[in-house]
Amino acid sequence: MQGKALIMEVLKGKTVERCPWVPYTGSQIANLKGYTAQEMFKDADKLYACCLEAEAQYLPDGMTPMFDLQVEAEILGCDLTWYDNTPPTVCTHPLEGELVIPEKRISREDGRIPLILDVMRRFKKARPEIAMYGLVCGPFTLASHLRGTNIFMDMYDNEDGVKALVNYCDERVREVAAYYIEAGCDIIAAVDPLVSQISPDMFETFLSEPYTRFFAALREQNVPSSFFVCGDATKNIEPMCKTKPDCIAIDENVDIVAAKQITDAHDITISGNLQLTVTMLLGTQQDNQKEALALMDKMGTQRFILAPGCDVPFDAPAANLVGVGEAVRNPQTVRKALESYVAVENLPEIEMPDYANLDHVLLEAVTIDSKTCAACGYMVAAAEAAAKAYGDKVKVVERSIMHPESLSFMKKVGLTNLPSLLVQGEIKHVSLIPPVEKLREEIEEVLARR
Amino acid sequence: MSAILQEISEKLQKGKMKEVADLTKKALDEGIAPLTILNEGLMPGMDVIGERFKNNDIFIPEVLIAARAMAAGTDVLRPLLVGEQMEQKGTVVIGTIKDDLHDIGKNLVRMMMESKGLNVIDLGNSVAPAKYIEAAKKHKADIIACSALLTTTMVHIKDVVAAVAADPELAGKVKVMIGGAPVNDAFRESIGADIYTPDASTAAEKAVEVCAAMHA
Repeated sequence: MQGKALIMEVLKGKTVERCPWVPYTGSQIANLKGYTAQEMFKDADKLYACCLEAEAQYLPDGMTPMFDLQVEAEILGCDLTWYDNTPPTVCTHPLEGELVIPEKRISREDGRIPLILDVMRRFKKARPEIAMYGLVCGPFTLASHLRGTNIFMDMYDNEDGVKALVNYCDERVREVAAYYIEAGCDIIAAVDPLVSQISPDMFETFLSEPYTRFFAALREQNVPSSFFVCGDATKNIEPMCKTKPDCIAIDENVDIVAAKQITDAHDITISGNLQLTVTMLLGTQQDNQKEALALMDKMGTQRFILAPGCDVPFDAPAANLVGVGEAVRNPQTVRKALESYVAVENLPEIEMPDYANLDHVLLEAVTIDSKTCAACGYMVAAAEAAAKAYGDKVKVVERSIMHPESLSFMKKVGLTNLPSLLVQGEIKHVSLIPPVEKLREEIEEVLARR
Repeated sequence: MSAILQEISEKLQKGKMKEVADLTKKALDEGIAPLTILNEGLMPGMDVIGERFKNNDIFIPEVLIAARAMAAGTDVLRPLLVGEQMEQKGTVVIGTIKDDLHDIGKNLVRMMMESKGLNVIDLGNSVAPAKYIEAAKKHKADIIACSALLTTTMVHIKDVVAAVAADPELAGKVKVMIGGAPVNDAFRESIGADIYTPDASTAAEKAVEVCAAMHA
């Protein structure tokens, strides 16, 4: 069992054969097609292409076609600052001066909603077996987008005003959730990072009611829900559970083992909490696989979904997500590969090809294993497709790290991430699968030099 | 501590702005010196807030209203606290790093530092490295404090570190302090910054300590 079926079993509390994997892919997947974050978030075709590529390479059970918490705020009058390497940021707050409850509703035609619905419909049709998550901005974070940081003072100075604003945001977010469900979303996640910044008392005062209503409404439609929080939300896990979502998603600031004891007591699934910066952004593929395996070992196969702590940073190497996907699907293979990696000092001596004097162009795909790792398979296939027209003039070899000699090779050429592709001994592509045309150009360059 | 100073501290911790201002005036009427009210009433109250925030007992709203109450008290005292009476503990230039507009954390650090008697120059949001350098020179800062909430913006902090190192007027004289959700000590080490602290309260304590060592 895998994909949506596996996630639904976990959400029901069933023990499953392996834990599901949901890589909260946001701006990072723009890299897979060479786009900037801004280009991808504003163009349905680009976003769709990146989603398909992420699904193919990262082997997820569930996907978030759009991870941008500014969509609703933009429609409701916040100006956004756009970046090439991160989701946009809210830079103005329409209610900063005076807290007046707006009247605007969110329709299917507003802002980037049509773009998102288009991508969701297409992705659902193309990959019906994957659990599709529709992400909405949580009402408290949305309220803070509209009001700015004054909202924290308002919680003391204007309790009724904050309640009215959060209720207004809750209604708008429910409109958006309804559109996402129509477009085929299987799970609705409310992402409310600011929840970690308030006390349990404040949570009960301002958020318990709207969230309980929100999740109950989803339950009535038979749509499971997830409650995302970022930061150290340890003290709010219990109040969050009381609002009865089906899942709670946390980041590395929360002790996930301790939090699971609380979520288990409420029959709620927990999701998390691969480290975003130390591991996913700055770590190696092996670091990511080690952390994924350690998390899976400690969390077991009931009521747990493996996921990053929040949306993956733009510059996190694709290889790290590929590696985690591989560790989830083929843990034994990856454990074996990691053992060899750890024993890196005892690797066998190897003789490197004499690239300068070869009578052919050599494409070397360094992989985890193309038989089990989808991204590795694509890398080998791309090399073979590019080589085909050249007959004996171009040869392709796969160097799978299931063989210690390949680890020696990696060390000699200075590779850390897989899959990668070398053209005549030169590292040309790391993690990202190149278009066949690009590879042909690189082959032609080598041939022209000879 | 006299009863009224104790009461100022307690009201400050509860964020009672008006009561803190009224009690501060009353303490002055009773003949307590302005500096004593500051050092033994207002500051100890804010220290408790800092400690409780560090321990996750209280959260952002509680810190903000306490800081506002503290400001109400210091507004009463300011005209009476002339230059030499105020102990100058050091100067910090602070801002969120280039392209980062998230300033809640930075504002908390500023408030905590101010409540500990540091002179804080707030450059606001999305501050370019050159602006930190310019302000540090102008105000003869001891510390440049950079905050980042995004993994994509935290990398710009290393440009500030490099700019300090390359400037003969600042190199070795100004410490670079970093903080924010994605930042940690391993990152600090990797970019060669001087100080990392995990929360606003510790940032203020560490800044006071560093300034004291630099002025010793």
